[in-house]
Amino acid sequence: MPSGRSLLLAGVFAALAATAGAAWLHEVPLRQPVAETVSARAEKAQLPALTADEERFATALWAVHREATRLAVAMSFAGISYQTEDRDVHAFARKIQPMAKFFQDAGIQVRAMSAPASLSTTQDQYVNAMALYANAAAEILKFTEDGNSQHLNDAHRMDVLASEDMLRVGEVLWPGQYKPH
Amino acid sequence: MRRPALRSSPLALAVGIAAVASLFGAPARAQEPVCSAWLIESSRFMNVPFGSFMPDRAFVPGSTKPESNIPSVDLPVNIGVIKCGSELILYDTGWKQQDYLKMTGSDHWAPLPDQLKTLGFNAADVTKVVIGHAHWDHAGQLSDLPNAVLYVQREELKAIEWALNYPEPHIRAVNSDPGGCNRTPACGYMPLTVEEVYGKVLKGKAVIVDGEMEILPGVRIHPAFRAHTAGSQLLEVPTSIGKLVFGSDAFSSYEGIRDWMTANVQQTDTVQQFLAYEKCYKITGGYNNCVAAHEPLSYTDKYPLTKNSWVALNGGRMAELTLAPGEKSRKP
Repeated sequence: MPSGRSLLLAGVFAALAATAGAAWLHEVPLRQPVAETVSARAEKAQLPALTADEERFATALWAVHREATRLAVAMSFAGISYQTEDRDVHAFARKIQPMAKFFQDAGIQVRAMSAPASLSTTQDQYVNAMALYANAAAEILKFTEDGNSQHLNDAHRMDVLASEDMLRVGEVLWPGQYKPH
Repeated sequence: MRRPALRSSPLALAVGIAAVASLFGAPARAQEPVCSAWLIESSRFMNVPFGSFMPDRAFVPGSTKPESNIPSVDLPVNIGVIKCGSELILYDTGWKQQDYLKMTGSDHWAPLPDQLKTLGFNAADVTKVVIGHAHWDHAGQLSDLPNAVLYVQREELKAIEWALNYPEPHIRAVNSDPGGCNRTPACGYMPLTVEEVYGKVLKGKAVIVDGEMEILPGVRIHPAFRAHTAGSQLLEVPTSIGKLVFGSDAFSSYEGIRDWMTANVQQTDTVQQFLAYEKCYKITGGYNNCVAAHEPLSYTDKYPLTKNSWVALNGGRMAELTLAPGEKSRKP
């Protein structure tokens, strides 16, 4: 038979549980409005930690990625500057030429990296991104030679695809690479 | 006889000038539209340490002071939807969540075209997009607004390009982890976002703004350089409750504007952020009509402008800020 002390403890526990439940019910509509789904939460489950081999690959790729990201943005800006500032095709070409070389070399460099089997798709995606950027740069250089603006449209389409591929890789290897700004 | 004539002539001249001015001024004011405005939550960044958002609100364990007893906050990413006659304007465009860009720690994202549809608008009907700045979480989804003309400050573009070419790798870094940037000048301008800005330029759908610009009668862009980023810009909008000023991250926090505290320091000169706050006070007559991008109290009574709110897609919230005469409510 329960003692008076046990009953008292049980009562306190029940009261606390009821209070917590009421508070939770009060908070839920504010913090997790109706349409928040379990699947949406499940999708955001923490990614598994990388293995040592995967970490090594991520570290090696980061050295390329850091510069590739900067030059990807710089390539967009070269186009913006050309369109909005100077309309100087020679200056445009001078900006793009080293980028074309970088992305070609980066593709070769990343392909030569030793990636664990678990990251072979990731490696392929990155190589593909570098190829797209290199091809985009080549299209821009064709524009600077023949003035056909279709090359710029093609380059833009490739740049968008390449930046998406880089994000795909980033989601696996560096999910915190962009923070709220 | 001449002296009285001379004494009275300045008054007569002033009256005359005022009369002439009113002849020209009245029609100009009559043409100025009264706009309707809504706020939509693109997504919410969850559990952000308060001190990283507002240094003067940093959590102090054990403190009972209201300014230092909140450890973390949820930050909405707010987009302004502004309707002036037949013109539909967005101020900021949030960001686009994808299978390859989930942003761990972010909740309640929904596609901008779907959010607009719940308000009864089509993405294709957006005529103008003014971005407060070009960070990835404020200038995304541009390709989903095919007919909109983008307004961005030249100063913003020039500053990013300068930073990208700076010799010191940390200063030119675009992405954060591991060992990348935090608040340095190129940080946060992700390639996809900037390429979408370029896409607008390439299609002839971008206006590069130099300082102040009136984009519709009474709807004015004001520069707020270095109030968050190098080329930040505000948007003044005439409404039936007075003028609103949308501030993006120059006005990250409503409480910050009210209490004169800096918020969301990135590529920011805090003095310039305070001057941006002052601009809102001057234009609107106070702080209540300053529209903040990340105010944690958004969509509640504690941020009165945004209190007429409801929960919409995927738990994201919306608010009806003000309606022009004859404009129907879009609150369900």
